[in-house]
Amino acid sequence: MRRSHEPISWSLFGAGGMLLAFIGPGLIVSTLLLAWLVQDPQALHATLSSGLQHPLARLAALAVIALPLYHTAHRLYHGLHDLHITGPTWLLGGFFYGGATALSALCALWLFSL
Amino acid sequence: MGTIELVATRYRPEQDVQPWEQRYTVPCSEDMSLLDALNYIKDELDPSLSHRWSCRMAICGSCGVMVNGEPKLSCKTFLRDYREAGVVQVRALDNLPVERDLVADISGVVEHIEAVKPWLIRHSTAPVDTAHTQTPEQMARYHAFSQCINCALCYAACPQFGRNPAFLGPAALTLAQRYNLDSRDEGSSERMPWLNAEEGVWSCTFVGYCSEVCPKDVDPASAINRGKVASDINYGVNLFRLLRGKSDA
Amino acid sequence: MRKPWQPQQPRDWWLHNPAYRRYMLREATALPLMLYTLLLLAGIFQFSRGEVAFAAWLSWMQTPAALLLQGIALAAALLHAVTWVALVPKILVIDSDRLRIDPRQVLRAHQLGALAGNLGLVVATLWLLWPAGGA
Ligand code: SF4
Ligand code: FES
Repeated sequence: MRRSHEPISWSLFGAGGMLLAFIGPGLIVSTLLLAWLVQDPQALHATLSSGLQHPLARLAALAVIALPLYHTAHRLYHGLHDLHITGPTWLLGGFFYGGATALSALCALWLFSL
Repeated sequence: MGTIELVATRYRPEQDVQPWEQRYTVPCSEDMSLLDALNYIKDELDPSLSHRWSCRMAICGSCGVMVNGEPKLSCKTFLRDYREAGVVQVRALDNLPVERDLVADISGVVEHIEAVKPWLIRHSTAPVDTAHTQTPEQMARYHAFSQCINCALCYAACPQFGRNPAFLGPAALTLAQRYNLDSRDEGSSERMPWLNAEEGVWSCTFVGYCSEVCPKDVDPASAINRGKVASDINYGVNLFRLLRGKSDA
Repeated sequence: MRKPWQPQQPRDWWLHNPAYRRYMLREATALPLMLYTLLLLAGIFQFSRGEVAFAAWLSWMQTPAALLLQGIALAAALLHAVTWVALVPKILVIDSDRLRIDPRQVLRAHQLGALAGNLGLVVATLWLLWPAGGA
């Protein structure tokens, strides 16, 4: 029996799922409220900028993007298998998990170059 | 006592190229089980119909069939519950080869169950005059998982097993957990490779239907997903071993 | 003579049973949630480019298409949260000789945590938007 490397993607999937359950709906309501009620986008930008000064805040923002990306990529990857949509593992896995990794890296780049 | 329509999916390997449906009218009383109805057909209407059964009391696990699309033990299913539907559709368990009529071949499932070594493994031998004691709490830890009767309803309920019959599946992985959680057992290192494999816990996507259909409330979905946590930890420990230059376990 | 009939799983297997349809709906929550995460990622990019770009992103989030996506994502997030928390006590079982926690407590803790996390975030946002609070 060959050992599966699924524990890596499953752990990320689990962390993302937990995060989405704990703050997902609240986050969506929050961005709706932000975009709807904001009076002065410049001041909001300044407030968020000062909040993101702390590296831990940047790390938290990165987690809010990266973990849901891995979570949803994992579900969609397995969903395609369920729908009998098949392809080479390297291609599908590369697209979903590789895509989530690349986008997370970009997000880290943007956040940490603020 | 009224009657009810029973549609059985027939398959006779000698004559048939593929399964087909046959309609029977059977008596329907408050206390008649589906197994009673199948036996009525066999005895009174059509001796050529084949189905499996033994205990009539939900303990031997041999009478599993699909009833209106759901995996059920025919001895634990009552016709009275289908009066409203008006018709009972019966076919062999899904996801398994059909040997004949309502008889599914569960030998693949039995092989999967055997593979995970579902028995107590001891490396140290205890003296003959002392028992391996266990507290009630230690027993409660695996008790539900030990109630499995190997009926394979959970395999008929599992789309991942239907998709890939190499998947060890609910009952086998549950039994692996059952022994791994037993305080008297010392064999988990022999079972972990099966859990850790793609065909082990990692083919499961927690559909959860296996636990809904299980006639013994074993909750195989929970057992498998607790197995994922165990396999996850095992993966981390092994990674640590590899990093320290030790061999792959 | 043995000649077993080998069934093949039909491609549309999940349409034929309510339990499978519920499962597929749960899995499908991933699609709008991923798209919403991409929106957020775009927001971070625009934020990093400066105030003007950020303001443009904020007003773009008010376009009908973006609102529709956020509405669907909100429904998906709620379904995800409910189904996820319900499964936690079946996966996270703390039961050893040293420590045993009743699964009902595990469920309660996660329910309360999810409520607190989500409501807390909304309250924090409202506070941020309050004229005295920030923007
Ligand atoms: S886990 Fe339940 S459904 Fe599956 S074989 Fe055992 S008793 Fe039957
Ligand atoms: S006849 Fe034994 S379980 Fe139904």
